[in-house]
Amino acid sequence: MKELSHKFSLLWLNYKKNKAIYWMALPVVLYFLVFKYLPMYGAIIAFKDYSVGKGIWGSDWVGLQHFRDFFQSYYFWRILKNTLLLSFYQLLFGFPAPILLALLLNELRHEIFKRTVQTISYIPHFISIVVICGMIVDFSSRDGLFNTIIGYFGGQSSALLSDPANFRTIYTASSIWQELGFSSIIYLAALSGINPELYDAANVDGASRLRQVWHITLPGIIPMIMILLILRIGGLMEIGFEKIILLYNPNVYDTADVISTFVYRKGISESAEFSYTTAVGLFQSVINFALLIGANRLSKVISNTKLF
Amino acid sequence: MTELLIHDTHSMGGREVMKRSWRKRLTIGICLMMSIAALGGCSGGNGSTGEAGGDGPTPISIWMSMNTNASITLKSMNEITAIKEWEKKTNTKIEFQHPAVGAETEQFNVMIASNQLPDAMFVNGDYAKLFNDGIIIRLNELIDEYAPNLKKILEENPEVAKQLKADNGDIYAIPHLRLGEYKTFGGTFIRQDWLDELKLEKPETLEEWETVLKAFKEKKGVAAPLLFGAPPKMTTMGPAAPTYLEAYGITNNTFMKDGKVVYGPIEPEYKEFLTMFHRWYQEGLIDPDFATNDQKTYDAKILSSQAGAFFTFIGGGVGRYLPALQETDPNANLTATQYPVLNKGDEPLFTGRSWEWSSSGVVLTNSNKHPEETVKALDYFFSEEGHMLKNFGVEGLTYTMKDDYPTYTDEILKNPDGLSVAQAMAKHFIANYPFVGEDDDRYNEQYYQLQQQKDAAVLFSKYSENTLKVGLPPTSLTTEESTEYSKIMSDIGTYRDEMFVKFVIGVEPIENFDKFVDQINKFNVKRAIEIQQAALDRYNAR
Repeated sequence: MKELSHKFSLLWLNYKKNKAIYWMALPVVLYFLVFKYLPMYGAIIAFKDYSVGKGIWGSDWVGLQHFRDFFQSYYFWRILKNTLLLSFYQLLFGFPAPILLALLLNELRHEIFKRTVQTISYIPHFISIVVICGMIVDFSSRDGLFNTIIGYFGGQSSALLSDPANFRTIYTASSIWQELGFSSIIYLAALSGINPELYDAANVDGASRLRQVWHITLPGIIPMIMILLILRIGGLMEIGFEKIILLYNPNVYDTADVISTFVYRKGISESAEFSYTTAVGLFQSVINFALLIGANRLSKVISNTKLF
Repeated sequence: MTELLIHDTHSMGGREVMKRSWRKRLTIGICLMMSIAALGGCSGGNGSTGEAGGDGPTPISIWMSMNTNASITLKSMNEITAIKEWEKKTNTKIEFQHPAVGAETEQFNVMIASNQLPDAMFVNGDYAKLFNDGIIIRLNELIDEYAPNLKKILEENPEVAKQLKADNGDIYAIPHLRLGEYKTFGGTFIRQDWLDELKLEKPETLEEWETVLKAFKEKKGVAAPLLFGAPPKMTTMGPAAPTYLEAYGITNNTFMKDGKVVYGPIEPEYKEFLTMFHRWYQEGLIDPDFATNDQKTYDAKILSSQAGAFFTFIGGGVGRYLPALQETDPNANLTATQYPVLNKGDEPLFTGRSWEWSSSGVVLTNSNKHPEETVKALDYFFSEEGHMLKNFGVEGLTYTMKDDYPTYTDEILKNPDGLSVAQAMAKHFIANYPFVGEDDDRYNEQYYQLQQQKDAAVLFSKYSENTLKVGLPPTSLTTEESTEYSKIMSDIGTYRDEMFVKFVIGVEPIENFDKFVDQINKFNVKRAIEIQQAALDRYNAR
């Protein structure tokens, strides 16, 4: 008890010292309270048969009925597989890409060239996802840019986005293109924190550029890589839902339909199965949570870095 | 990492910056602004009730999606001339709330889920479910007392009353009615100029269709001899594909076969249809991009003469396409084709005929504080005066009486601002899309200005009575039934549409049709049919 009051008085002292900081943090705290914590209350309709008239609290309990329905649903395996595969590809190809770019940029000595490359590579990040997807859809249409190029090499033109076989490639490649430059900034920042004396010493020892990258640069940014990896794994199931909505069509549901798009369609756009889709969304969150904890543990074991 | 960040901010705070009070204030000011902006986000969206000050009438808010012909010139339906006139005549103040175009279902579902309701909503929905969920109220007593005009119509037309009333006799909607001759508004149109050029007859049977489409493909070299994919909902097969499916005497949903409810896609005829459509696809007779078409690409293909035949509406479709086509090619011509059949001399069964009650209407929500006034105001449209206002607008401005026949003025037919007939109508009154009241035949007669449109209306209506034998009437389901039914059917619908595309493209060989049927049976289509059958029996017993 005493310790608690001690803590509070420390907090109060800290507040008095850094008032503005606390005020600055307020909107963020409010944001999380209002938009992230408060809505959690609504998640209980996953265990109820939600009827608008009876309200969230007044609706009848049905236990795990909706979860059971979902696990037995025809679409369960498909959307689970798609969600995991799309995320996995994003992780496999999308995660190392910015690290690679950062390492390459780091080796550049020509400042103006470096800056130019950097700027060009992160411009796509600032374009709205709606515009990006509009471009992708346009480029992959039957008479679009990609097909013109394919035709140039003697290929047959086809509607690329109507073929389930292409969806994952288009999705992953465009994500890498869009986020490559911007994600590399954080690595570049970490790179600049490496003590230059280490390189000088390596030079004296006669280490080649590649050796230097391997023994100095990479170990220097490993903690950053691990932290970002944990975050990525935690969000593994939370695949970019807007982007899929904007890119997919019923033809490619086979490979494109993921949990979040399924929830969107069943929940509000085609039918209004509120309870069922809440259960599906909750399932996704639980898996995410488990993955996050797992990745954090793993990272602690491997590199002694952890998030919490 | 977190450690690092906190440390960082500490050192920032430790700097001398904070001593300067103006900066401190500025910071706090910005923080506050940000939090206000963040919170402001929640209250947006449903901004409705701007209280009318003083003794003005209480405002009635009506949620309704806006027709595209209206949204081209107006921001809100409040600006429609007839609505302003209506407010004056009934001494009410109407406030329309419009969902964003393309997101109507989403916004409706979100509105229902959050229970933030307007006074009234114009919907085409599951009325019994809305009522049982406590969203809307029963209107029988209100109609008896405050809607004498509607009451009279229902008494004079028992068939309409039967459609409007639920199984237990409840009425939930102030309806949109079509009591006149015109009940089919769309169908397949063909490039008559190409038929003439190739010396071909207008196709009637599927065989003739194949010949014509082949000729379009080979001699005209068009990309989409038959265009479909079909707006507005891309997730369904679209109206054009069912047209050809319906030649087999079935449709892609539940319908009536000898008085019994059946589900089309599991009937053997569906396989025959898929086989034929797959062949058409392979031979390039149908649009290769049918599955990804949207309104934009659909229009583009028609207007660039890449489509030989396509489904469209007589009024809004042909009225727009034909003049635009003729601008670039004066010889271009579109004519209506009869709903196709299998054998020469057969009569088509499905003709897209709508019921007398179009299933849409205004419902009153539980948060309506003035149900009497709302019903009274809406009943105005069923009066002689209101009927004219809805269908023809304001006398002198949009129509004049010539020999007892309300004739549209040039404001409508030759709009000085260059609006099409549909758009000019939508600016002044509500005739060419569903709204409370009764459609007038004299509106349709003039809406269809071109000879091709007039012919189409006659042709499409020729067999419209046949549809009564196969079409399901507006039945109503109980809440439990409706929940179960929509759950089954939404799974089946997604599956059916996906498989349709696969079968047509050929990703799925037609030999797997039996597996397709098995899967639909696994979804428990039997139960869905049972539910519909029970509802139909109850309907017939009304």
